[in-house]
Amino acid sequence: MDIDKDTESGPAITIRSSERDHVNFVLKNVDLAVANSVRRTMMAEVPTLAIDLVEIDVNTSVLADEFIAHRLGLIPLVSDSIDELSYSRDCTCDQYCNKCSVKLELAAKCDTDSTMNIYASDLAKFQNGSTLGDPVIRDAQGKGSLICKLRKHQELRITCIAKKGIAKEHAKWSPCSAVGFEYDPWNKLKHTDYWYEESVEDEWPKSENCEWEEAPDPEAPFDYNARANNFYVDIETIGSLSPNDVFVKSLETLQLKLAGISVELNKDTVESSNAESGGLTTYGRNGGETPEINYGGSYGGSSWS
Amino acid sequence: MSTIIDEQHKDVDPDQMDQDQDIEEYDLDKIKLLPGSSEDGTAASFQIVDEDHTLGNSLRYVIMKNPEVEFVGYSIPHPSENKLNIRIQTYGSITAVEALHLGLENLSQLCGVIETKFMEALN
Repeated sequence: MDIDKDTESGPAITIRSSERDHVNFVLKNVDLAVANSVRRTMMAEVPTLAIDLVEIDVNTSVLADEFIAHRLGLIPLVSDSIDELSYSRDCTCDQYCNKCSVKLELAAKCDTDSTMNIYASDLAKFQNGSTLGDPVIRDAQGKGSLICKLRKHQELRITCIAKKGIAKEHAKWSPCSAVGFEYDPWNKLKHTDYWYEESVEDEWPKSENCEWEEAPDPEAPFDYNARANNFYVDIETIGSLSPNDVFVKSLETLQLKLAGISVELNKDTVESSNAESGGLTTYGRNGGETPEINYGGSYGGSSWS
Repeated sequence: MSTIIDEQHKDVDPDQMDQDQDIEEYDLDKIKLLPGSSEDGTAASFQIVDEDHTLGNSLRYVIMKNPEVEFVGYSIPHPSENKLNIRIQTYGSITAVEALHLGLENLSQLCGVIETKFMEALN
């Protein structure tokens, strides 16, 4: 099957800018459905590492245990080699082990009269032989994000277990802080309806991406055959993964999902196929006869004619 | 779904049943056939669990690109159940299962092409 019948060259990508936490590119010659799938996967299904279990030994700070646990969960952790880690639920261990988790420790006590700040850099990781699980630190002082503040005699002793997960379960696992996604900047397709008082042109600012597409002829009739073809994507990450990795891994995640279904579908057709257990059949096609299958019962008399 | 499981395990002792249900969490029935398929297999509805519009919409699009396919549609029957129903009807030269297989394969290839193009653009 030719996916790219109407276009000459098939999918194309033009990278407009690429920085450490940022990539901006134009994705061309794919359908809106596919582009949107990639966007959704980037935002919610690319696996990363985040603190998931928090054992609090001592917490005499002003913040409640769960409050600190929540803040710890949101700290970005370096997840470049996340593929080496398995999901805790799939691991053979009882609760967690170093094949499915990374352990970090936080121990701090304030002895001075002034307030003490506790930063992500104060988290001490149990060595695991790689950078996996190091807190992401991007400020000039090398401190990382602020976790809490301690007054004199207040203390924190906390053990954190970081696990692999996806943002569909909890947003703390999202590698992206934002994904920009724009198509049809001139609104030729009329997918959106601009509210205005007197004039749409005067009251709405033009998108920067308008320069990348021809302005529509105001006299031209509406083209009902037109489809979205150029997608202006802008990925901004939180530092756990590079934006390029996020894009590549989202495509791999999608492929993994498809393969998973394909395997299940294969198994069902091969082991084929007890319709009562929801099996799948391709009978009556390869010269064979349609096997006798009793459809009755399990679907409550639904129509299987 | 629960009614089907009950049917299967009617005559099984409780220990066995526990074991089977453990396996079930491993997505053994990621996809199943829904009632309402034609006898020759050219029209069928499937139910995929733990998937949403992310997969459904692009899979629908890719299957629809197949000229042998007469109709594809998908729906999320209820927002608080993570189930995806997909209906495929073909003109008769391939079965719905084959059309679905082809769709999965083609979408995977399309992802592969986009990935290659991105890597090329990076270098």
